[in-house]
Amino acid sequence: MSTESTVPKKRYWSLNGDDVRRICTAIVGGLVLAIMTGPEGAISDPTYGVKTSLLTRHVVGYFIFGVVLGCLLTYRAKVKDGTWRRVRTTRRRTLSELVTAFSSTWRYVLLAVTTFLVALIALIFADFSGPVTRNKMSMHVLEHQFLYTRTYGYLVLAVALWLVVVNQAMQLTSFRLRSLPRPVLGLGAVLAILLFSLTSDPFLPARFSWRALDPHASNSLFHHWTTYLWLILGLAVTITWLLRRDPITGAKPARRSRALVVTPEMRFLTYVAAGFIVFEAPKYLSLYWQISLYQQIGVFCLLAIGLNIVVGFAGLLDLGYVAFYALGAYVTAYFSGALPLQPPFHLNPFFIIPFAIIIAMLSGVLLGLPTLRLRGDYLAIVTLGFGEIVYVLANDWTQVTYGSAGTGAITNFNVHLLGINYVWNPVNPLSYYYLMIGILIPAIFLFDFLNHSKVGRTWAAIREDEVAAQSLGINALKYKVMAFAMGASTAGVAGVFTAVKVGHLFPNTFVLQLSITILVLVIFGGMGSIVGVLFGAIVLQWLPSYLNFHSYFGYQQADLYLYIGALLVVMMIFRPQGLVPSRRRRREIRDSEEGLGSADALGAITQDQPS
Amino acid sequence: MTSADPIFEVKDVTLRFGGVTSLNNVSLIQERGEILSVIGPNGAGKTSLFNCLTGVYLPQEGSITFHPSQTKEIKIVGRAPHRVAQAGVARTFQTSRMFNALTTFENVKIGVEAHQKTGPIGAMLKLPRTRHEEKFSDQRSHELLEYVDLTHRTNTLADSLPYGDRRRLEIARALGTDPKVLLLDEPAAGTNPSEKLALAELISRINTELGISILLIEHDMKLVMSLAQRLIVLNFGGVIAEGTPQEIQESPLVIEAYLGASDEATQ
Repeated sequence: MSTESTVPKKRYWSLNGDDVRRICTAIVGGLVLAIMTGPEGAISDPTYGVKTSLLTRHVVGYFIFGVVLGCLLTYRAKVKDGTWRRVRTTRRRTLSELVTAFSSTWRYVLLAVTTFLVALIALIFADFSGPVTRNKMSMHVLEHQFLYTRTYGYLVLAVALWLVVVNQAMQLTSFRLRSLPRPVLGLGAVLAILLFSLTSDPFLPARFSWRALDPHASNSLFHHWTTYLWLILGLAVTITWLLRRDPITGAKPARRSRALVVTPEMRFLTYVAAGFIVFEAPKYLSLYWQISLYQQIGVFCLLAIGLNIVVGFAGLLDLGYVAFYALGAYVTAYFSGALPLQPPFHLNPFFIIPFAIIIAMLSGVLLGLPTLRLRGDYLAIVTLGFGEIVYVLANDWTQVTYGSAGTGAITNFNVHLLGINYVWNPVNPLSYYYLMIGILIPAIFLFDFLNHSKVGRTWAAIREDEVAAQSLGINALKYKVMAFAMGASTAGVAGVFTAVKVGHLFPNTFVLQLSITILVLVIFGGMGSIVGVLFGAIVLQWLPSYLNFHSYFGYQQADLYLYIGALLVVMMIFRPQGLVPSRRRRREIRDSEEGLGSADALGAITQDQPS
Repeated sequence: MTSADPIFEVKDVTLRFGGVTSLNNVSLIQERGEILSVIGPNGAGKTSLFNCLTGVYLPQEGSITFHPSQTKEIKIVGRAPHRVAQAGVARTFQTSRMFNALTTFENVKIGVEAHQKTGPIGAMLKLPRTRHEEKFSDQRSHELLEYVDLTHRTNTLADSLPYGDRRRLEIARALGTDPKVLLLDEPAAGTNPSEKLALAELISRINTELGISILLIEHDMKLVMSLAQRLIVLNFGGVIAEGTPQEIQESPLVIEAYLGASDEATQ
C-alpha cells in the first residue's frame, strides 16, 4: 500500500457498456410510453396512430418523462449498504444459450407457442385499457386492435416481459417445491385481504364487484382477467425467487447474501409490477379514492420521505416538521397573490416550487445552525417551539396571512408553453396524482442514492458516535444542518402541492398533531428505510379513510389518534424497528437487545464526552 | 528543547477542570517520523493531553502547534476537533469507539471518505466525481483492511469483532484519513499476548513504511520499551522525565512515581 492515491485517472464523461445499455433502455421506455399514450389509428391506415403519436406535441412530454424514469429505474447502485460487489458471483446464462440446450423441435414449439400467447395477452390487455365503451373481448375488436397505438406499446412491453419470464424459468432447472416459506404465505394473505376489502368498498364503481369474468359488464381493474395474470405472474415470480437455487450446483443461496442475489430480471419485474400499480391502477379507482391518493397518500409520502432524512438518516428528532410544510404552502399563497401582502410578481405554481424549496431550506438552516449543537431531547423541544411559532404567526398575523379566515384562492398548476395550454383542474384528481408521481419517484431514487452514498454513511456515523466521527474530520454540525435543510425543502415542496390542490389555506391544518402524524408514519414504517416509510405512509393514511366511511367496529374519526397511539405502543413492544426496517436500523435494534451498543428510540446515541 | 523538524510542539499547556488541574505546564516536542510514547500512572493526564492535541479539550494556558509539513504550522488550541483531524491528526480511543451498526468495511470507508469533496447534490445525482471518489474509497478501504490484516472480516459488523480486531479496525479507520501523525490511546488494552505482538508489528510498520509519526499512550511497558524511540513520563499532570527507554528505566523519579501504583515498573 502506498500513501498516494493509486486509482488510475479516468475521464469523467467516458461511457461504459452499462451506461450505453441504460441510455438505450431509457429511450425505448420513453418511446413505449409515448406510443401507449398516443391517439387512435384509423381503419385505412393502422399505423396512423403511431405516426401521429410521435409527431404530436403531448407525446414529447411523455417521452421525456419516460426517458428520465427509465434512466432512474435502470440505474443500478454498485454498492448497497457498503457491501461491495466487485464481480458478479454467478455467471448468468444468456437466453440463447438456454434455448439452444433444447432439442430443435422443442425449441420451435416453445417459441411459437409462447410468442402467440404473449401477443394475444398483450392485445387483450391493450383492448381492456382502451376506450371503456367498447365491446370487450369480441373477435371483432381484437381484429382491429392494431388501430390503437397503445397496442404497439403493450406488445413491446409484453415481449420484454416474456423474455424475462422465459429466462427466469430456464434458470430454475433444479427447482423443487418445498413447504411454502412464511413470507409467501404472508404476502398471499395480505393480497387476499386487500382484494376483498377493495371489492366490498362502496366508493368504488358499482360494477366493481366480485363477479364472474363477464367481459361485457365492467371496466374495473379487478374485472379484467388480465389483472389476475399480473397478480399470478407476480406471485409466481415471488415464489420462485424465494425458493430459487443455484442453477448449476442446486445449492440454496446463503441467507445473509439474499439481498445481493436479486437478478436483473427480478429487478425488472419488480419495476414493471410497481409501475403497473402506480400508473395503471389509479385510473380504475373511484373519485373518492383518487382524491385520497393525492391528498392523503401522495402528499404524505413526500412528507414522510422528507422527515425520514432528518429522523431516519441523521437521527435527529424534529417535532416541528409541519412548520416547513406550512412555509411551503404559504409561500405558494404569497406568490399566487392570495395573501393580503401582495408579491412583486405573480408566479406560476411550477415556478413557486424552487422558491418554496429555497425558503424552506433557508429556514431549516437558520433554525438548525444554532439548535443542532443540542442533542436529543433539547432539539425536539426547540423544533416543537418553532412549529408553534409558525402556526401562531399563520393564525394571528392577519395583516399578512388573513389568519384563521383562510387565504384567498390559490392558482392551479398550469402550463402555457410553446402552444401547449393545460390547466390542472382540481376536479380531476388524477392529473394532480400523476404530477405528484413525477416528483415523488425521482425524489425516492435521489434520496436512496443519497443514503447509500458518502453522505448517508456519514449520517450513520454521526448517529452512531459523534465524537468518533469528528475525530475522523467529519463536521457533524454541517451534516446535521444538511439533513435538516433537505428534510425542510422536501416539506416545502409538499406544501406547494397541498396549497395548489386545496385552493384555500387554513392555519389549523398545520398543527402539532400533523407533525406527530408524519413522525408516526416514519416510525411505523421503519426509520431510515425509504420503502418502509412509504409503506407506513400508504397504510396509515389509507386505513383511516377506509375505516372512516365504513365505521367498522364503531370507528369514529375523533378516535383516530387513540388507535394510532395504541398501534404505536404495540409496535414498539413487538417490532421497534418498524414494519420494513432498514438494514442498519435492524442491526442497531438487535445489538441493543443483546446488550451491545445503545440504540434508543431515535438511534441518536447519548454518550457523554470522553473524560 | 528545540528541534529542526518537529511535528508537534506543546508549550506550557495547562488544563483545569474547575479546581482540578489535569495538565500542569506540560511541554513536549515530537520529531517528525518518531514514535513517541507518553506513559504515567493512572490519572496522570495522558488522555487529557490527547484530547488537547486533538482539539476536544480547550486548555486554559499554553500553545500547541502542529506542523503538517516542514513549512506549514497550525495552532491546535481553539480549533474544532474535526478541523484538527482534517489537518492530519488522527487518533484512536481508549475505549474503542466503532460505528457498531456498520460493517468493518463501512467503518474504514467512512474514514477514507471524510476528506472527500462529494456533497449531497453530487451524491444524489451520482455525478462523475462522486463515482470516481466512491471507486477510490472502495479501493483504498480494501487496501487498508489488507494492511491491518482484517480482510476476512470485511462484512462483519463492527461490534461483533473480537477486541484485538477492533483495535486494528480503529487504526485502519484512522489511517483512512491519510494522517501525518497518529495518536494511539492504549491500543493494546485488553488484547492477548499474541495480538499484542501483531499490534506492535503493525505500529512499527505504520511508522516505517508509511512514514507516519506516532504518539502512543500505553501501559504495557514491554510494548512501549520495544516500540518507542523516546518516552515522556507524566505524573500529576506534569512531565517528570523524558528520554530514551534506557534512560527512563533507570530514572529514579519514574521508579518512584510507579512504585505502589503498579508492578510494571519493576519488571
